[in-house]
Amino acid sequence: MSGSCFGFAPVSDLSFEYLRDGDGDALEIGERDGGVDDAGGALVNEWTPIPERRSWARLYEDAGTFRLWIEGSGSFHIDPRIPRVVLPVGLESTVKREERLWGIPALLCFLGRSDHPLHAAAVEVDGETILLAAPGYAGKTTLAAGFAAAGHRVLSEDVSCLRFSSRPMLVPGPAMLRVRRDIASRLEIPGASEVAAGDDRTHYSLDRASRGDCTPVPVRAFVLLRNTEHGIRLERVSPVDSLRELWPLSFRLPTLHDRERCFQGVTALADAVPVWNLYRPLRLDLLGEVVEKIAADV
Amino acid sequence: MIDNDLSLRKNPNTAFRTLAAGEGGVLLHLESGEYYGLNDIGCMIWALIDGERTVTDVVDAIRSEVEDPPTALTDDVNRFIADMRQRDLLLA
Repeated sequence: MSGSCFGFAPVSDLSFEYLRDGDGDALEIGERDGGVDDAGGALVNEWTPIPERRSWARLYEDAGTFRLWIEGSGSFHIDPRIPRVVLPVGLESTVKREERLWGIPALLCFLGRSDHPLHAAAVEVDGETILLAAPGYAGKTTLAAGFAAAGHRVLSEDVSCLRFSSRPMLVPGPAMLRVRRDIASRLEIPGASEVAAGDDRTHYSLDRASRGDCTPVPVRAFVLLRNTEHGIRLERVSPVDSLRELWPLSFRLPTLHDRERCFQGVTALADAVPVWNLYRPLRLDLLGEVVEKIAADV
Repeated sequence: MIDNDLSLRKNPNTAFRTLAAGEGGVLLHLESGEYYGLNDIGCMIWALIDGERTVTDVVDAIRSEVEDPPTALTDDVNRFIADMRQRDLLLA
């Protein structure tokens, strides 16, 4: 298996749909019975269910290793020090298995590599990354799909991997998009293949020819999506005010050390990258116009 | 009331970062998760607090570094320190 995601190259007998080109750090990926050794560890995070958006999940930590339990999927065992992810057998499909893998398990592995996880989509415009986040949950993936429809590369759909060097960089994630079905039926994404449609989303594997590799892409701007009934407009957010938005979007473990790590990452991002509020009506007929405005003005 | 001769100590469970010129800085209380924006003078005060300097030392240091310092500088520094203490960012 060749290819990469978040800068990791899977070492595994399993098959993958969403990898990009190129190589990366070795990431061992295996499978085992999710019922085995499914106890122990301290609860460090819990995600309560939101209908049609996310499942109930719990994260346990034990001496630097993690166990992620997801309702209906079972337990994932993650050791970021190797790094290695062991998936539960019996997930409903290989695509679903891979989508789970590139969520919290991969996030914990790149966190162990000192990269910064952010709940945001990322698209590429003129060789730079524009991050898209929806604090109110509305429209992040649809807007990323709008960028894909306009011919831009989607770098991440839900979890973004940031790396801080001389300037913030984005390490591309899985080449996938999970678009709301009512949107998918009205939006043409060139080269994308439908690989699943088991829930309220249509799951796309992005065009293989234009996925590119996981070479980090410099971050140009961060856009926070806001709803309004009146027109499309962009407003700059001050670095201090942007922290209020970036902090809850950044994953962190409940330790003083990791809070500090997260704080340094968030402030580095807010300091180096302009943050914008984008106000726009949630209307599909305006999606192309919104994409053009962001690409041109941020 | 703050004793002007008392050494000022930071709560070790805080993180601080200065932002770009003119943007001040940000201070995070690591236990509560609360963060606070500081202006440039606030950043200067925070940097001067080293466990040994007193309020008087901090005021003197700022007065020597800032062009045309405000006449109410001592009161301003006292208010800032009282606020930081109330937020558990400085230890009493």
